[in-house]
Amino acid sequence: MSDATQPEGIDRRRFLTVLGVTGAGAAAVSGCSTAKVEKLVPYLVQSDDQIPGIPTWYASTCTECGAGCGLHVKTREARAIKLEGNPAHPVNAGKLCAHGQSALQGLYNPGRVKGPMARRDGGFTAITWDEAIALLSEKLQAAGGKLGVISGAGRGTFSDLLSAWTQAQGGRVVRYQAFDFEPVRAANQQVFGTSEIPAYDFAAARYILSFGTDFLTDFVSPVEHQRGFAESHGFNNGQMAKHVMLAPRLSLTGMNADEWIMLRPGSEAAVALAMANVILTERTGNPADANGLRTALAAWTPEKAQEASGVGAEVIRRLAREFASAQPSLAVAGGIATQHRGAIQACAAVNLLNYVAGNVGRTVKFGADLDAGDGYAALESLLQAMEKGQFAVMIVHEANPAYSLPKAGGFAASFAKVPFKVSTSLYFDETSHLCDLLLPGQHALERWDDLRPRRGVTGLLQPVMEPVFPTLPTGDLLLRTAQKLGGALAALSAPSYEAHLKTQWLKTLGTDEAWRSALQHGGVYGDTPVTSVKLAATAANVAYTAPVFDGDAGIDAFFFAPVPSVMGDGRFANRPWMLELPDPVTKITWHSWVEMHPETARRIDVREGEIVQLTSPNGTLSVPVYITPAIHPEVLAVPLGMGHTAFGDFATGRGVNALDLLDGKDGQGFLPYQSARVTLTRTREFKKVAKTEGTTRQLGRGIADAMTLAQARAGMTPALARKAEGHEVEEINTDREVEAIEGFRASQLEKRNIGPYAAEGLPMWGMVIDLSRCTGCSSCVTACYAENNIPWVGEEAILKGREMTWMRIERYWEGGEDGDPLEARVVPMLCQHCDNAPCEPVCPVYAAYHTPDGLNGQVYNRCVGTRYCGNNCPYKVRYFNWSAYNKKAFPEPLNLGLNPDVTVRARGVMEKCTFCVQRIRGAQNTARLEDRALRDDDVVTACAQACPSNAITFGNMNDPASRVTQAQQSSRGYHILEDLNVRPAVTYLAKVLHRSEG
Amino acid sequence: MRKLAFLGVGSLLLALGALAIDSPTPAAQAAQSAADTLPAWKLAAGDSGSLKGPRQPIFFRHDIHVGVNKMPCQYCHSSVAESSEPGIPTMASCMGCHLIIGGSDSSHKVEIKKLRDAWNAKQPIEWIRVHSVARHAHFPHMRHIKALGPNACQSCHGDVARMPQVFKVNNINNMGFCITCHLERKINRDCTACHY
Repeated sequence: MSDATQPEGIDRRRFLTVLGVTGAGAAAVSGCSTAKVEKLVPYLVQSDDQIPGIPTWYASTCTECGAGCGLHVKTREARAIKLEGNPAHPVNAGKLCAHGQSALQGLYNPGRVKGPMARRDGGFTAITWDEAIALLSEKLQAAGGKLGVISGAGRGTFSDLLSAWTQAQGGRVVRYQAFDFEPVRAANQQVFGTSEIPAYDFAAARYILSFGTDFLTDFVSPVEHQRGFAESHGFNNGQMAKHVMLAPRLSLTGMNADEWIMLRPGSEAAVALAMANVILTERTGNPADANGLRTALAAWTPEKAQEASGVGAEVIRRLAREFASAQPSLAVAGGIATQHRGAIQACAAVNLLNYVAGNVGRTVKFGADLDAGDGYAALESLLQAMEKGQFAVMIVHEANPAYSLPKAGGFAASFAKVPFKVSTSLYFDETSHLCDLLLPGQHALERWDDLRPRRGVTGLLQPVMEPVFPTLPTGDLLLRTAQKLGGALAALSAPSYEAHLKTQWLKTLGTDEAWRSALQHGGVYGDTPVTSVKLAATAANVAYTAPVFDGDAGIDAFFFAPVPSVMGDGRFANRPWMLELPDPVTKITWHSWVEMHPETARRIDVREGEIVQLTSPNGTLSVPVYITPAIHPEVLAVPLGMGHTAFGDFATGRGVNALDLLDGKDGQGFLPYQSARVTLTRTREFKKVAKTEGTTRQLGRGIADAMTLAQARAGMTPALARKAEGHEVEEINTDREVEAIEGFRASQLEKRNIGPYAAEGLPMWGMVIDLSRCTGCSSCVTACYAENNIPWVGEEAILKGREMTWMRIERYWEGGEDGDPLEARVVPMLCQHCDNAPCEPVCPVYAAYHTPDGLNGQVYNRCVGTRYCGNNCPYKVRYFNWSAYNKKAFPEPLNLGLNPDVTVRARGVMEKCTFCVQRIRGAQNTARLEDRALRDDDVVTACAQACPSNAITFGNMNDPASRVTQAQQSSRGYHILEDLNVRPAVTYLAKVLHRSEG
Repeated sequence: MRKLAFLGVGSLLLALGALAIDSPTPAAQAAQSAADTLPAWKLAAGDSGSLKGPRQPIFFRHDIHVGVNKMPCQYCHSSVAESSEPGIPTMASCMGCHLIIGGSDSSHKVEIKKLRDAWNAKQPIEWIRVHSVARHAHFPHMRHIKALGPNACQSCHGDVARMPQVFKVNNINNMGFCITCHLERKINRDCTACHY
């Protein structure tokens, strides 16, 4: 990214302008100078809930994955500017992941299709909606029932309508999700006779065993899992669950394991069966019918499992005993990272393990019937029908199969056999480019809709603003074509999808009042039923056979592991927030990489950044190497979701598509992501990896501190714990140091008291971050971007170390050498708001200074950009605005999502975490209007609000009753780089490691 | 019409000067300001060019609405006591009265017709902004109304009741203007009270 484009004759101050967010109620552009004419445009009629300057909140439902989390959408002047979780929602309880936060950049994405378009003369031409609907109706009429629909929409009124609409015409709908957990469902069918996905209760589990499942990132209901996981695995009054990860690669979930057991790809079933066998043999009091499995399982000895997996038989026995004695425990399997050809076996074996240990019904709760698509088999059969020319019209809705299916599967060729193809995608994605008619639907924040993610939970979506572009909700499209076509479709006579939706809801709700209440609460939430399941007859057939991998198993072959990263199945790759968000494991941004074990790298003499060619029977990828201890030496992992050939300017041509190495055809009813072996060819070309990590080791600095469970129970401080482990602990405060520091402190206090600040009752803002709860998921990072108008800087700037993440997650490795187990530590790093802030005295213009309420203030309009403060900051949490990001990071319409309460910084100023000072001042304003003092929960920073683990507590440290003051009392509390004596306002609580005794 | 060259820095007296169009002597003005009801200066849109302040698409007379008719500021700028933004009255608020009130003389009638035409055409009036605080400073109107009372508007905006056309009396983008008052009243002068 070039440092560029400051137009001539505009001074720096003019750059401090906020662009266009003030909306219909006010002017577009403003600066210091009054030379420019600004307009004030009034509403014609002001709606009751819109007051300029006051946010209006709407309840809605997140559609970024199938989990169906509840949303509170903050709008200002009729623009959505921030998404937060709905505290009343049973799935996410007020929390939201990074993907959910980034829905705003889906809404305001510059790559959206701006209206209906038809393919004419090889290109797309804009047409009117009337023309578009006439054209579609004509084609449907002519199709005579030869209609196919691929829909990514979740279960709800829309899906019902789509089915009714398609079936009335004699067509066929397939609900398709790239990540659909088919092996989990098939295994549940085999073992329990039900193909539903159960709800996993991590909060209740005392022992969590993950067979490669990244349940915190991309498995079923990540926010809910993380909340539960933090509840049980976070240190709480001497108690915490143990988490063991059995996987060839450490995912985000693996990084949070107390024990990582590296097993060979594809061998999960062997280990799970052996564990179930051990429990059945050694323990009495197993479920009665489980004893019937004894003979079936007897053959699966730990020794046999050791042979298959490389995990020691004694380790398997120990895990089995620990697993069985912790009540209840929870084992999870499934997910993309273990979706190899033995995935059904693995999930089935883990089902048995859970059943034998008595977890089914306690932590594995059937009855919720979580939403899932029709599965890969249904899609394959649809593709075959396409191939045979059985469709005249094909509609693709909220799905991008041209990208998310391996090219070797031949989707494009089959799709091309359909004469008329329609896309309702919001974006110009790969599938839209193959279509003849684009009928862009509306974003989830612009339309009426609902979702039934599980039994007992129905979420409503309502438009929170006018559509950004003249698009048409696909529900309305269906109704309007139905009314045009008539005949069997005549029953679909609702005047609009909104009316249709309301009619459907009133059937159960009855009254308008109940409907309004449902809208207000974001849906209707009842209890999710728990049904008991019994072992099916087929349960005894569960076995392990080594899964087949494509390609030769030669000495220089590697298992190829495409793993979900920040981009999910590729749907998030057009959002700059997601591209810039460092992958939680590797900390790489903006491009693809291949993870390689250091031993392997040494063996084949490859260094970080070397571009290597990975070749499978299906294709070749060129991708730079990232060396990490967190992977099995025989495995090479590449993130999924990049390498788009069309998906807007942000995604197109960025990185590689890991699916290119896969074979799309498989007879088991799911796409086996982990099914290829690859060979590696060196190119001797290099690309610097755009990562945000510095050194991967703490080098004894005590940044991310941890202690054992025993030490935590004994109330040891982190310093004592480090001493007990034989580490050196820096002596803090020689007398002289203390004297100097006190002197400095006194002068700061004196400054603070110039003026009438000495008034009593001033708050002192502080934060506590509990590292035993933090998982490193990076939800807080994205929340911070959204709240504080943080610009993305792009790959080139990150390569120069110019990232702009006010809040970042640092990841360090511990151990992993000389036989020590590898351990990951994460620590959210933000401005520590030091009392003795080293940045403050070096600022020549007093732009960095201490506020009376304990904030380390940064006054942008004072800052002249000397960067002295950044140089003097020991935490590297001050970020210099190197380029005119206020102009280029928010191309229209992304600028509409800017928070009007926060200055958009110009080039040449230092910026950093402010503890969300705009939220503090806003809460103070409200409290003053209501003639009351601030309450403890009045100010919640964006990071604390978003954190699915509830790891962050913010509040007034001067109030002895506040949650933050209480949390600070913990013996686990410490300050990072405490020996510098800068007195940070952020207290960290050391991570607690649940290691096996003995 | 003559331009009054001495108008510059804000004060009530100087603001009055802006009205010195029909009344030639300061003495006469003083007498009028003391009167209970202010006269509506006979002005037509054509005269607005020689008045201080930007010409607006409609020659809206604050002096008539506030000065003569004694409408409180918050009658139209209704969100000022609860929001950081005072709010520009909606077209519907204008029409609430002007559906009935058509104006007492021809110059008024012309202007009110502009409003009605815009309303009928569903086109908002695009007013020219007079007061605008720089975007790196946050000015919560409601805090100031809460502290200073509902009639405090004139401390920054001048005596709008005597302005046929609103103009800037104080340079509100000069931080000294804010600080002077904060100093006098011994209130928060912390930078991050406004700058964030």
